[in-house]
Amino acid sequence: MAQICPPGSILVADWHRSKDSKEYFNKILHKKRRRKFGLLESPMMPPHLAVDTVHYKIFICGKSGVGKTSLAARLAGMNVPNMHYETKGIETTMVYWPVKLREGGKVLFFCLQLWDCGENALRRFDHFLPSCQEQVDAVLLLFSFTDKTSFDDLSNQITRWTGTSLVKVVVGTKFDLFMHCDVTETDVRTFEETRSLPVLHMGGEDIDGLGDVAPLLNCLAENLWHQDCVAAASGTRRSQQETEALI
Amino acid sequence: MAQDGTPQLICLTASSGVPLFTRGANRQLPFSVIGSLNGVHMFGGSQGVVVSSSSTEGGGKVVWRVFQDSVMLIAVCRGGHGGAGSSSRAEQVFLQRLLENVWNCMVLVLGQDELGNVRNVERLKKDLRSCFSLIDQLLEDGQEGVFGNLTHCADSLLPPDPGLLQEAVDGFAKSADSEFGCLIVRGRIAAATEKWWRLAPQEVVLLSALVRSLAGSGTSSCDYPVFLPRGSPNVAHRLLRFQLLPGADVCILCGPTPSLHRAETRLVVPFWAPLMETLRACLAVGQHCLPASVSPRPDVMAVLLINRETRRCVTCVQPNLQTSDPPLPSRQRCWELLKLFYSFSVTRYFPQEDTLCVVPEDKDPRSNAEDFVLSFSHNPLQCYLVTEECKSFGLQTPQHQLFLLTPLSVPTFALQTLASQTLSDIVSATGF
Ligand SMILES: Nc1nc2c(ncn2[C@@H]2O[C@H](COP(=O)(O)OP(=O)(O)OP(=O)(O)O)[C@@H](O)[C@H]2O)c(=O)[nH]1
Ligand SMILES: [Mg+2]
Repeated sequence: MAQICPPGSILVADWHRSKDSKEYFNKILHKKRRRKFGLLESPMMPPHLAVDTVHYKIFICGKSGVGKTSLAARLAGMNVPNMHYETKGIETTMVYWPVKLREGGKVLFFCLQLWDCGENALRRFDHFLPSCQEQVDAVLLLFSFTDKTSFDDLSNQITRWTGTSLVKVVVGTKFDLFMHCDVTETDVRTFEETRSLPVLHMGGEDIDGLGDVAPLLNCLAENLWHQDCVAAASGTRRSQQETEALI
Repeated sequence: MAQDGTPQLICLTASSGVPLFTRGANRQLPFSVIGSLNGVHMFGGSQGVVVSSSSTEGGGKVVWRVFQDSVMLIAVCRGGHGGAGSSSRAEQVFLQRLLENVWNCMVLVLGQDELGNVRNVERLKKDLRSCFSLIDQLLEDGQEGVFGNLTHCADSLLPPDPGLLQEAVDGFAKSADSEFGCLIVRGRIAAATEKWWRLAPQEVVLLSALVRSLAGSGTSSCDYPVFLPRGSPNVAHRLLRFQLLPGADVCILCGPTPSLHRAETRLVVPFWAPLMETLRACLAVGQHCLPASVSPRPDVMAVLLINRETRRCVTCVQPNLQTSDPPLPSRQRCWELLKLFYSFSVTRYFPQEDTLCVVPEDKDPRSNAEDFVLSFSHNPLQCYLVTEECKSFGLQTPQHQLFLLTPLSVPTFALQTLASQTLSDIVSATGF
């Protein structure tokens, strides 16, 4: 398994705040909101600024009600549902995210396709899990700060994915509901150290539009890129990744 | 109806009256009232009477219906000013359609088996939650100008370039080993395979509603299990949906293959990327449903045209309503008035070919509408209605039904000509 990379080791940290990122981020914004892209579209830069787009498939897992659908919506800048409507099948969401590599200063667009499958649907129908796992590049393992059992269940979740070369990121949801907080800072720190997996938290009002999602998207992009570099160095870079990037 | 706030919907087990869920309305009915509503129906049952609807002096309305001997649905609508053509009878049609749609939507999501034999009430309650987004959409009567829930005809959009899209839908479905494919633009069907049109009309309408609700959340593709209330109530098919452009979704119904990942990476781009411009032109048609070449005459405020054979409908509201004195109804009001006039016409003059689910023994004491329709020895071909807000005219031919609204300034004697001309304009330009 690839080692985790500390934030800012490969990508320019907080790049969305710097001036030179503006023209790139403008491509994913529309009237101060995130632009929606259909499957036939992607952010287009003028020819002299052409950038490569790299595609990844990310599976979001965690028990029903933990906040998978909400997280996907939040990362894509869509309206976050305030009611819990159980997800009946698989829903995927495209998130485009520009990053700048520290070495060489190259800019890339990450196209992260988030795969969200309702936990109860996953149990009811056998074909959903294999479909989510097919050629997946990363998993987001979710727990809720308001539900200790979801945190305790993480170990089980992680074991399900051992042996596969995948980026794994743990996300604690509902961090804003501190009144009902059931998982402590110490719990989280201990977990991070023993598992050596990054743990991020989500929740609360979105402040500057991108600020609340940037840490998670950058963390994902950084680890995915790192994983690809390691794979390329060992000569096992998956050919499917390349064909996908060509389309 | 719509302007009085959304109706309230109550779902109970039919045998024991255990509440399964309630939706809609801002003000919840107290539990004791729900209990009484159920009690009235049960009491009727014990006397050999089916209680199916009731109205209050203030114009409120309650409609009951039991499905599969297992689930009871009750819709409650507070009374109010209905406006043109609003009659107790028309509201009843609306509520009965609603119950039928809600049931179909529960079957679509959960399958008939699970609803038909309730073994574990708590389990069912939990599972029913996955129908809420779709049911709420039905209650709120979602998108303006979408009539399918009421007419059970598929809301359609007539694209400027139908041939290319038809070919693409056919080819795309075939490449995914499916015979059922459909392109939905702005919530309306722009092209579909022949087999898709052979699904039961309610199913076509329901699938469109599902795609609207899925597309509304901003996701780019999905793989959803669906049970078809008529065609396959116990075995789930897969509905794959791909958002090609915001507002344009293509979907197929299929079996175990292909996987969502495979269909998306291998099939979507090759089939649809060449049609980007055609799709954009289709999106530009927008709310209007008709190609720009067929604009309704200036005197027409709103049109609903139904093809009775294909069970499809198109609607539009005049894009440039003139200002006048007295002021014309707003766009939104035009849609409401058109819905009311449709319900009014089909309950009084143009009986529906599709069962309106009005049980024969159900006699509404306040109107003898049914006797009225049945007493005709002939089939009415036209009807009109003049109210304080507008004039309305309905026309039927063996192939079509047309409903239109005009400002009060249009002389009543001119309505018939206007309607026939509008019909022939649209049909000759689009072949609808
Ligand atoms: N306050 C707060 N509420 C949240 C947060 N994330 C999710 N929720 C709420 O939690 C509930 C469930 O969220 P969903 O995202 O629908 O849950 P899910 O994991 O997709 O559940 P399934 O589809 O059933 O597997 C919703 O009512 C959300 O509004 C958060 O970060 N903060
Ligand atoms: Mg969900």
